[in-house]
Amino acid sequence: MRTQVEKVIREVGKAVAGKREVIGKIVTAMLAEGHILLDDAPGVGKTTLATALSRAVGLTFRRIQFTPDVLPSDITGFSMIDRAGGDFVYRPGMLHQANLVLGDEINRAASKTQSALLEAMEERQMTVDGRTYPLERPFTVIATQNSVGTAGTQVLPYAQMDRFLVRLSIGYPDYEAQMTMLRDRQGADPMESVACVLDREELTAMQEEVRAVEMKEEILDYITRLTMASRAEEELAIGISPRGALFISRTAKARAYAEGRDYVTGADVQAVFGDVCTHRVLLKEGAGERTAEQVLDGLLKKTETPDHRSRFPGIMKK
Amino acid sequence: MRKHWIGYAVWLILAGCLYFFENNTGTRVILLCSLLVPLFPSLRSACFGREAQGNGIMPPRTAGTFIRGEAFGNGTALPRTTRTIIQGKEDGTGDIRPYRPGDPVRRIHWKLSAKKGELLIRETQAAEETAQEEYRETRIAEEAAAEELRETQTAEKTAEGKRVRFRRILIRGLIIVILLCSALLLLVPEARKGCMALGNRLFTASETVNAYAYDRFPVPEGQGEVFAVTLLTIAAIAVAALAVTLRSRALILGLITLLTLGQIYFGLCLPAWILIPGYTLAGVLLMRHPTAGSLKRLAVLVLGVTVCCAILFPGVDAATESASETVRDRLSQMAQQLIGIPAETPEGETETRHTHTQTLFTGAREVSAGREYRLVTVGEEQISRPKWIDYVRIILLLLLAVGVVTLPFVPFLLLNARKKKAAEVRKAFLSADVSMAVRAIFQQVIAWLEATGSGGGNRLYREWTGELPEGLPEGYAERFSACAADFEEALYSSHELPEEKREQALDLLRETEKALWEKAGRKLRFRLKYRMCLCE
Repeated sequence: MRTQVEKVIREVGKAVAGKREVIGKIVTAMLAEGHILLDDAPGVGKTTLATALSRAVGLTFRRIQFTPDVLPSDITGFSMIDRAGGDFVYRPGMLHQANLVLGDEINRAASKTQSALLEAMEERQMTVDGRTYPLERPFTVIATQNSVGTAGTQVLPYAQMDRFLVRLSIGYPDYEAQMTMLRDRQGADPMESVACVLDREELTAMQEEVRAVEMKEEILDYITRLTMASRAEEELAIGISPRGALFISRTAKARAYAEGRDYVTGADVQAVFGDVCTHRVLLKEGAGERTAEQVLDGLLKKTETPDHRSRFPGIMKK
Repeated sequence: MRKHWIGYAVWLILAGCLYFFENNTGTRVILLCSLLVPLFPSLRSACFGREAQGNGIMPPRTAGTFIRGEAFGNGTALPRTTRTIIQGKEDGTGDIRPYRPGDPVRRIHWKLSAKKGELLIRETQAAEETAQEEYRETRIAEEAAAEELRETQTAEKTAEGKRVRFRRILIRGLIIVILLCSALLLLVPEARKGCMALGNRLFTASETVNAYAYDRFPVPEGQGEVFAVTLLTIAAIAVAALAVTLRSRALILGLITLLTLGQIYFGLCLPAWILIPGYTLAGVLLMRHPTAGSLKRLAVLVLGVTVCCAILFPGVDAATESASETVRDRLSQMAQQLIGIPAETPEGETETRHTHTQTLFTGAREVSAGREYRLVTVGEEQISRPKWIDYVRIILLLLLAVGVVTLPFVPFLLLNARKKKAAEVRKAFLSADVSMAVRAIFQQVIAWLEATGSGGGNRLYREWTGELPEGLPEGYAERFSACAADFEEALYSSHELPEEKREQALDLLRETEKALWEKAGRKLRFRLKYRMCLCE
């Protein structure tokens, strides 16, 4: 594991106990310049995690609590008449100069607000009244979605879920973790102890390095075969799109980088495949008992690994 | 003109003599081809047409006209444009000359042209001059060709041309009608029989003459065939040499006559594959002006006639005949003993021949009205050929024999192929490229694990540590995963691996081999050694 990544994970881990793996995945997604969708029950520490992350990396953190009343202009900003000058003045919105944005309960926002955010995520810029404002770099959105209590909500359409690089869930802590958490919270706020171990420029530089990670033909072939297999899969109505394949390769690169390598292996692809793809596939109605995760896992088992495929000619297969 | 026809007549007589004295496919083909040659316009013009300039060898068409044009010298016979070009070149009018269609526009001397009121061309550099010259020459050739075409076209328009064209159309139509009629005839069984009968009639007649000739002019005793063949070969070489040097057709024809007569006199029955090409060559030598087209036509003619003769006339030359006969009888006997196919020959060889003769020559028998066919009595010479089913049998038996002979070696061949592959892999262990070596070595380890029935299946190799079999030495799993990491680095990155990685991988391989070999039972050991070829 690369030391900088390791440090960040350790610092965030101070505030969120026992969630090393998820933290690692989120950092990986950030390295891949992607956005994260957290699908979880309330109160498992999504906000805490995001805050701790922004502290550890030294990012400007903004939080939007979405309700049906939040308007697109709250996010992008708007122009208003300046009385004194008699001119329109731009009033920046939430995304202005933000590096890490936590969009809480995005499914409760009105669809126009959702699309304003998603557009900003995709383009990494905002356009208000014909003027374009580029967003800060790095720019990462962590959006959360409540899987319970969907009454009065605007569920993210399938096409918009596609914009998020990964969908993760934090999940409840186990016994040990919860005990630690309870113990820590008795005294001072553990958030105070989270130190800044990485600055913004360093993160940007790391993102650049991620782009330079080596990816051999074998891995590209593996990704292609996996996505093709998903499209041919019986139980899936919609398989993984070409954009999905692109995202797999990006995330795999970031993971390889986080692991301290400058080349991608089959293990990287396998590790990120589920997170990147579960929200990109659509199960057929009444197709079977399996969830999307299980179907994708089955695909990984079925598809020949690049290790096997690269077998030296002359060595017999069994 | 008449001379050529006399030559052709001599040639025909020679071919006829040859046919009547030596009746085989070769002589038949020669006679038929000689008869057919005047029917083809291109061949006819090649053989009897006007003599062209240039010593019998037809120069290329366009160049020919060019040469002719120069030969005339005065230029009156030349088309106008050609004349001006040549004159321009001879005069060497220099830098400025009038524009002619086809000159490059960028060479136009605009200023002078404006002054003179006509387009003028600037000729400046010597290099350009030569390029111009080449271009001019091709143009001359092209124009001459076009001119010639125009001439023939205008000639065709005249009354004379009309007659020529009419004759050409008539001949073509006749040929087509004859071909169609003969094709139709072959469809009617009676007509087919008739054709056969006619062929056989000719055949019988030639045989009679042949026999008569043999009776009257017996083959001289004492003069062995070797002597005759040597004599004829020397004569043939002499003919070829003379033909090349002298190019006198009368002489060549005379020599060919001598050769043919000698052949008849010595009673040499040359096989078709010598006769046909030899006489074709002689025919080509005798042609007045052979062109590529006419030679091609001749080749097609000879080939076609040969094929037709081989199909229509059942005669096979004696040596092949008796050889095939013997082989067939042997094989049918063998087949009878081996598989139990009923014997083709119940009693003796003559019986078979008799039946075959009958089936092949029914037409002849009808025509000759009950007369016992002569060839049956001649017997020892010709006729009868194996049925197609016999060929099939022969092929099947041969295949069977080949199969039986090679079958025991098949496992060894397969093993050898596998061993070769395995050796290639082993060679890769020591390759200069360490990554390649590590890949090969680690995959060999994987192959060992798979062969002994352990291993993680379709999983990444680094995850196989959980599936390793029992009985491996201490710390094997760690070394395995380290090697798996090296393997991944070798496979997925372009890093150069250090030399010690190869050593580590080789150690792991040795350890694996030792542990798994000791554990393996006899059956598994056999598999490892001979099926997978994992051990040396």
